[in-house]
Amino acid sequence: MTADIAVLATKLDDAARFAKATAQIDGPPISVDDAYAVQKASIDKRLSRGERIVGMKMGFTSRAKMIQMGVSDLICGRLTDAMMAEDGGVISFKKFVHPRVEPEVAFLLRKPLIGRVTPLQALDAVEAIAPALEIIDSRYENFKFSLTDVVADNSSSSAFVIGPWRPRDIDIANLGLVMSINGRAQAFGSTAAILGHPLRSLVSAARLAEAYGLDLSPGHLVMAGGATAASALSPHIYVALEMERLGRCGFSVEE
Amino acid sequence: MAKAKKDLSKDKGVRAVAELLMQSAKTRTSCAPIAARLQALGADAAYAAQDIQTRAALKAGRKIVGQKIGLTSTAVQKQLGVDTPDYGMLFDDMAYGEDEEIPLSRLMQPRVEAEIAFVLAHGINNPKATLSDAVRAIAYALPAIEVVDSRIKDWKISLIDTVADNASSGVFVLGGAPKKIDSFDLRLCGMTMELKGEAVSLGCGAACLGNPLNAVVWLARKMAQVGRPLREGDIVLSGALGPMVSVTPGGAYEAHISGLGRVSAVFSKA
Repeated sequence: MTADIAVLATKLDDAARFAKATAQIDGPPISVDDAYAVQKASIDKRLSRGERIVGMKMGFTSRAKMIQMGVSDLICGRLTDAMMAEDGGVISFKKFVHPRVEPEVAFLLRKPLIGRVTPLQALDAVEAIAPALEIIDSRYENFKFSLTDVVADNSSSSAFVIGPWRPRDIDIANLGLVMSINGRAQAFGSTAAILGHPLRSLVSAARLAEAYGLDLSPGHLVMAGGATAASALSPHIYVALEMERLGRCGFSVEE
Repeated sequence: MAKAKKDLSKDKGVRAVAELLMQSAKTRTSCAPIAARLQALGADAAYAAQDIQTRAALKAGRKIVGQKIGLTSTAVQKQLGVDTPDYGMLFDDMAYGEDEEIPLSRLMQPRVEAEIAFVLAHGINNPKATLSDAVRAIAYALPAIEVVDSRIKDWKISLIDTVADNASSGVFVLGGAPKKIDSFDLRLCGMTMELKGEAVSLGCGAACLGNPLNAVVWLARKMAQVGRPLREGDIVLSGALGPMVSVTPGGAYEAHISGLGRVSAVFSKA
């Protein structure tokens, strides 16, 4: 299986690097463990090119998302510094295959977080909380994939924008949010969509980090998962997120 | 009441539709969509049919306690191909208290939606009312669950169907902890409605016409125009903050609105 993992890692790394869709993984189904091994091997290629890990993302954390994607398991992916776009900045459409955007909550860690933790321990490890937008971009043709396909593909993570950081004592259980495109509301929701409470996603992140060998260290980010269905991006649009009590963030898309 | 409306209320087709819907409500047997019968006369005819039923209800001793605003979500408006909300009347016997069991026997095909309700400190009789009139008229906001219902079979409704059918109103539950409207974020307040701990509807204040107060302004103008101005003490159900959900028999739906509190609607098993 080892050779296959390297081959798949290269296939997905190339698809991401050159923004060119690739076919779903064919042949006999691979295990979830193998899919995470492909993810790690694929991200290791980016690290060898000088990128560094800045945190992790959680996926399939909302009912809307599970329905949209037809799955029922939580997944995670790795975030690198090259995936970070500036709040208020511009991203280039041609660097993606078929990007979509979704509103999220981001955590900044002040303590390491690994294994089975309580919500209290998870919150204690948080330095600050921010509104965030994640750009997801499946490297597979037509955004179609199985659970193992998407895990191997770094859980579709491709870029993210983080808004202003706020203290961790804000109650984030049910914060309303509006995601708009060119000033017109595109999606309405609540952070309660994220597993009923975004902190639960952080608890799960610690568990998945241990299970699949990811790192959650002080200074790292955790993107807690989408709070509404994702919206397709296109050139010449401005995407903005407003979140109750947490504030706003946004970015523009150029050709 | 406008002259045109009085004329429409004498229209045979309009009267027949009102009669059909009243019969449907009475026998709890849904009827086929009625839109085709009123299409030529338009939405005014549908409101005239609604008004015939309102007057019959008042004659039967029911009291108007407020209004509901429907079609306040742009997604739902698009679905029905309209660009305006609609209104219906709330009667005294439609009000339930928190955790008071709602008998399914009085409903036909109920669905629930979480909303912000406003209680008015004084009326607004101004067809050109503004946000200023709305803000000054509102005494308190309350979390609410509106139980919508349709006399039209399988909810196959168009604008005309729902307007003629009292804006598909059923019953409603208000949470008992009033808040002033400057004490929470009317636009960005989060809403989650759960059934057995699982979120079944999510949204926020802005899902209702961008801000629930926009819906109140629309209603205030409309009601002044049609000669039933908003009155002191009226309850205004301003419109859904998230998608509506079909009611499960025996279900207890609990809605939380950030900064405003919670309210639950509990249904009988049969």
